[in-house]
Amino acid sequence: MPAPDRPLLTVEHLTMRFGGLVAVHDVSFTAAGRRITAIIGPNGAGKTTVFNCITGFYSPTVGRIVLHGGRGDFLLERMEGYLIAQKARVARTFQNIRLFPRMSVLENLLVAQHNALMRASGMSVLGLLGAAGFRHAEREAVDHARYWLDRTALADVADIDAGTLPYGAQRRLEIARAMCTRPALLCLDEPAAGLNHAESRDLNHLLRFIRDEHEIGVLLIEHDMSVVMEISDHVVVLDYGRKIAEGSPEAVRHSPDVIRAYLGEEEGEALPPEVTADLKGEGGAGAAHERGPAETQ
Amino acid sequence: MAAETADTPQHPPQDGIAAILKDAGIAALISLALALPLFGFRIVGFGSGRGLALEERWDWVVTAVLAVFAGRIALNLWLRRFRAVLAIGGRVGDGVGDKIGQAVAAAPRLGRILQAAKPAFRIAVAGALLAVALAWPAFPFVDRYLLDLGVIVLTYVMLGWGLNIVVGLAGLLDLGYVAFYAVGAYSYALLALHFDLGFWECLPLAGAFAAFFGIVLGFPVLRLRGDYLAIVTLGFGEIIRIILINWYPVTNGPNGISGIPRPSFFGLPFAADPPEGTVAFHQFFGLEYASTQRIAFLYYVILALALVTNLFTLRIRRLPVGRAWEALREDEIACRSLGINPRNTKLTAFAIGAMFAGFGGSFFATRQGFISPESFSFIESAIILAIVVLGGMGSQLGVVLAAVLLIGVTEFFRELEQFRMLAFGAGMVAIMVWRPRGLLAHRDPTIRLHARGEKA
Repeated sequence: MPAPDRPLLTVEHLTMRFGGLVAVHDVSFTAAGRRITAIIGPNGAGKTTVFNCITGFYSPTVGRIVLHGGRGDFLLERMEGYLIAQKARVARTFQNIRLFPRMSVLENLLVAQHNALMRASGMSVLGLLGAAGFRHAEREAVDHARYWLDRTALADVADIDAGTLPYGAQRRLEIARAMCTRPALLCLDEPAAGLNHAESRDLNHLLRFIRDEHEIGVLLIEHDMSVVMEISDHVVVLDYGRKIAEGSPEAVRHSPDVIRAYLGEEEGEALPPEVTADLKGEGGAGAAHERGPAETQ
Repeated sequence: MAAETADTPQHPPQDGIAAILKDAGIAALISLALALPLFGFRIVGFGSGRGLALEERWDWVVTAVLAVFAGRIALNLWLRRFRAVLAIGGRVGDGVGDKIGQAVAAAPRLGRILQAAKPAFRIAVAGALLAVALAWPAFPFVDRYLLDLGVIVLTYVMLGWGLNIVVGLAGLLDLGYVAFYAVGAYSYALLALHFDLGFWECLPLAGAFAAFFGIVLGFPVLRLRGDYLAIVTLGFGEIIRIILINWYPVTNGPNGISGIPRPSFFGLPFAADPPEGTVAFHQFFGLEYASTQRIAFLYYVILALALVTNLFTLRIRRLPVGRAWEALREDEIACRSLGINPRNTKLTAFAIGAMFAGFGGSFFATRQGFISPESFSFIESAIILAIVVLGGMGSQLGVVLAAVLLIGVTEFFRELEQFRMLAFGAGMVAIMVWRPRGLLAHRDPTIRLHARGEKA
């Protein structure tokens, strides 16, 4: 376990309102470099909203989001979405995969290196003239892409359209594409969704590799508890847009607030007595059944 | 067979006579509804001041309905026969119907063959087309009419290639492309007339003006997508046309601009009697004067312009900016998450597409010698867009095939006069039925990790 780093990302008092709906309310947390920070919570807890605020797809109603990068601090809440990726080097993936389906796998990875290649091609002018400098830069870009293709076991399919890949491969490609931008912080929105057991184990390997070898911070939203508990160093739990717990996976797992958020209130506290009485028969069995899997997680 | 039936469920091949009659009856009813207002009544004038009268033409209506009824029956019978031919698997029949059936069956196959063919084959097709294009004025059967037709087709090919950058690569649906064509044409006409500049000096200026207009339009509207962008560009096309009509002092309004200088061959004019002190093209080369010399020269100018457009597009597709255009077409949100500036990237596509329209426009002005706002109506934009879409979005070869098919072949139906557009429409419908994603929808990656055919 690497020594604790200074925070890479600081989120302070983040609030996001959509009209009257408060999707995220006063959430603060930090994510360290070389650490995997997981944001978990029930459906509708505001996880993806937090992500969209960090990556510039929403501008938060209130709050400050600072990325402490190698080249100084960036106030993400004030930056345009594409600049967050370009200057602050925050890369992300999407809950519903967003590849460029009718472009080849390799092209997907080259588009991710657009800004570096654009400079090398002299804003296209040198590239049109076929300058040697650009050809060299392009070869380097292909080598970089090749590196991530090997890491994600996609090198064999590099020349076919990304849209024709199987689901698990598309997920891996999206991570490879995000990594090709050479990010300081990698944000993954439910990377294990829809993966089978073996694929999800490979994903754990990949994420650990990214954390340990590339020394970048990873922020992930995840429902799959096996992924969260196994690989994350730090867990932030959201419920109804509020942060209800934060800490190591072990601490979070035993936090009563978290258990309540995932399993609901204890019976009898919130329900009127007659309903409780009706439920008494199979209600106890149901609750025990529900709690079973949660405890094994 | 099952697929055939699925394609046209309204005519199952096992139709009995009753079903055919019913189908023909419905068609006849529809044609009655159409023929009554179209053929049935005609307004006749009695000369000045004596008003109008309505003439009824029931015989026309009856003829039309009967023709549709009989035609529909014949079509259904023929379709059954045609399907039978297909089912046998293209066995050579001796009936005329069978031959037609096979020919029709082969047409969609052609596209599929081109599609599935190895790139070597597609390069061969492109090379053959290029050779034909280069040698076109030298063919003995090519008279002035065919040469002119070649110029027109090539103009549309060039415009198609230019619009392909915007629509095919960047995925921005532009219904006002002809506005940039107009900007190029008027730029050349006005610069040549007022500042005495030659065609070759005006060409880059016209391109620059058109690109400038592309950026001016692009800035406010490129945040729009899809249908909304299409509507705004459509409006922009109309704005330009209406300005051209109404800005009388500059554009001479609907009367247009005439006397636009013709291009010269590196300073040698094409004229039977050149002005004092100059040597004409035919005198310099010791040839007989022929009006086709100028047309042939224009033909090669537009061929060169079109090829420049094509080479530029082929090359820029392989550059980061070209890939970013295609990525934007595929998913703009993903592009933003990768640090690509969507606005600038779209603007470059818009400006470069407009620039080629500007080149095309100034060629159009010098070829015609006369331009007026009538030449830049919406239908031109629609035709260019149709060429791009029917050719297969993003496919360079597809644009050529679609332009030859829609412009060149339709031209041979000119003797049908006002029904010529029917042939145009029929061509479009045929392509959409057989090749719904365009003639050539195939796309090759712009860069490969493994050489083609090599097993990884």
